[in-house]
Amino acid sequence: MRIVAVDPTSCVACRNCEYACAFKQTGDFDTRASNIRVNFYPEERVCIPWTCVHCGEAWCMEICPAGAILRNPETGAVEIDANRCAGCKMCLLACPTGSIHFDKVELVSKKCDLCGGDPNCVKFCTSGALQFVEEEEAYGFRRESLDAKLKRLLNLDKRGS
Amino acid sequence: MGFVQGSRSRNPLFSNIGILERSTQALPIERSRFGFYNAEVITEEPTSQMHLVIIGNGAAGLSALSRFRTIDKDSAVTLISAEGASAYSRVLLPYYLRRKISRENLFIRRPEDYEKLGVQTEFGIGVSRVEPESRKLTLENGRTISFDRLLIASGSRPFLPPIDGLAGSNVLHLWTLRDTERLDALFQQGRRALVLGSGFIALQAAWAARQRGLQVTVYELLPRIMPTVLDEAGAAVLQRKVEEHGVEVLTGLQTERVDRSKPGVLTVHAQDHPPREVDLIIVGAGVRPNIEFLADSPVRTDRGILIDEHMQTNVPGIYAAGDVARGPTSFGETHQTHALWPTAVEHGRIAGENMAGHRIPYQGSLNMNVTEMFGITVASMGKFIEEQGSSAHLVKNPGSSHYLKIVLRDGMPVGAVALGGAEDAVILGRLRPWIRNRRRLPEIEGFLKGRYLISRQVA
Repeated sequence: MRIVAVDPTSCVACRNCEYACAFKQTGDFDTRASNIRVNFYPEERVCIPWTCVHCGEAWCMEICPAGAILRNPETGAVEIDANRCAGCKMCLLACPTGSIHFDKVELVSKKCDLCGGDPNCVKFCTSGALQFVEEEEAYGFRRESLDAKLKRLLNLDKRGS
Repeated sequence: MGFVQGSRSRNPLFSNIGILERSTQALPIERSRFGFYNAEVITEEPTSQMHLVIIGNGAAGLSALSRFRTIDKDSAVTLISAEGASAYSRVLLPYYLRRKISRENLFIRRPEDYEKLGVQTEFGIGVSRVEPESRKLTLENGRTISFDRLLIASGSRPFLPPIDGLAGSNVLHLWTLRDTERLDALFQQGRRALVLGSGFIALQAAWAARQRGLQVTVYELLPRIMPTVLDEAGAAVLQRKVEEHGVEVLTGLQTERVDRSKPGVLTVHAQDHPPREVDLIIVGAGVRPNIEFLADSPVRTDRGILIDEHMQTNVPGIYAAGDVARGPTSFGETHQTHALWPTAVEHGRIAGENMAGHRIPYQGSLNMNVTEMFGITVASMGKFIEEQGSSAHLVKNPGSSHYLKIVLRDGMPVGAVALGGAEDAVILGRLRPWIRNRRRLPEIEGFLKGRYLISRQVA
């Protein structure tokens, strides 16, 4: 399965992904509707986009009391069926990464569905921080950036002591 | 005995490693207290040609069934349920009463779903007796069914307080589909309803009745509403919202008797309070486990079936899960009843794995509640009373209905309460792995802000 892989070292916090996601869903640029969110930590000068990783064992899917969360057999995405969602919010409490939000107008939960296999956030990412890649590739890609980050942190630690 | 290599898709920890690898943040992952699952995945004995019997068609029974079937596709399975037909979701009943969802959407399994899983069903009949020595159980109609492994997920039923005159017509619970249908018929505009109790279910019933145009009063015995699922400040915020929606709330009120002498009217007498005439009473005073059929069996019970970290009872091969079971919690308690949907789903998952021959220990239940009522999101989790921790972090806007409290013990979050917007339920969700893994939050301000720095200002 392909996932939206994130490389925070490339992200420039332009938030185009949020706009692209919101627009795809609502035809509007109100980013509260976006299923991808960019966390921005100005003091540390770090920005990290984050969206659902479509867990292999999706706890939201298992817990949904309405049976409204299902895996799309084609894309592998964990999707919410808005017609079945009762708005009980149990999935919001279940998601460990905070990747589900509540639509206050429709009164249902919303999350990333990988745009049916062609994610808009990736298409409009200006810096290449978001890539839609096979999981296996994503791991290699992630490993390098994770290592780079850890090395930096470890060096900082050395200097500190 | 031998090791089984768990496949990535069905091993809970591998999926979590997946998350970790995909992230660059040190994400909280949920892990068994006993380390890596893989080392614990040991088959006990060949599981082919066995007969698994599941008592219960609710969250625990269904979760166990589906997990069992992902591992063991060959064994015979029989599912017994005292209730009618295909499974419906209890959590959704108030949403149906409020007309938020259709009746059809209450059902979470279709008859063909059981067929697809190769399950023999016995619906509409209860179990009267279990005999572990001979590995058989007796149904209420006298038929016996033998089993190799048994899961008792018979659930719980509402408690009717011993109040004189309370038992009888027009006194209902909000528990089963049948209860809901009867309430639905009685919910006519202008009728007077009294709700006894003020827990999650009681207040959801009050909210549904109010939305359907009834005059609603809540009587709570204790000095405040939601005594077990909210703290005092949270309860005060909610009570204000309940009252704003035109529901009268009376706390610290001891209901003494119900007078039925006037036809069609229930006159409720409470201590130091004028009698109140109502058309119906909805009782939400907690639940009791369905364990009567175990009375003369060696299965150990104490206000519920006592289970270990593998969801097994004291009788090998007999497991229990959900509302009927008292299992380990995230906080190290060995036997607790939650009677909550998420706990039932988790119990079922672990029971399903273990009954299929894997030895997977449970990391323990974490109590959590969430709902939307009276226009706000109400959620709580873990140990949320200040005295249960060593410090508390509060986000409160005086005069508004937004309230968030996180209780910490030596820097480790142990519980939280949230009232207000749905965003706070998301915060509780992110907090859950930290509570479960007993990890210190490096910085609570950052935890609260992070995600919302741009899209939402946290006060």
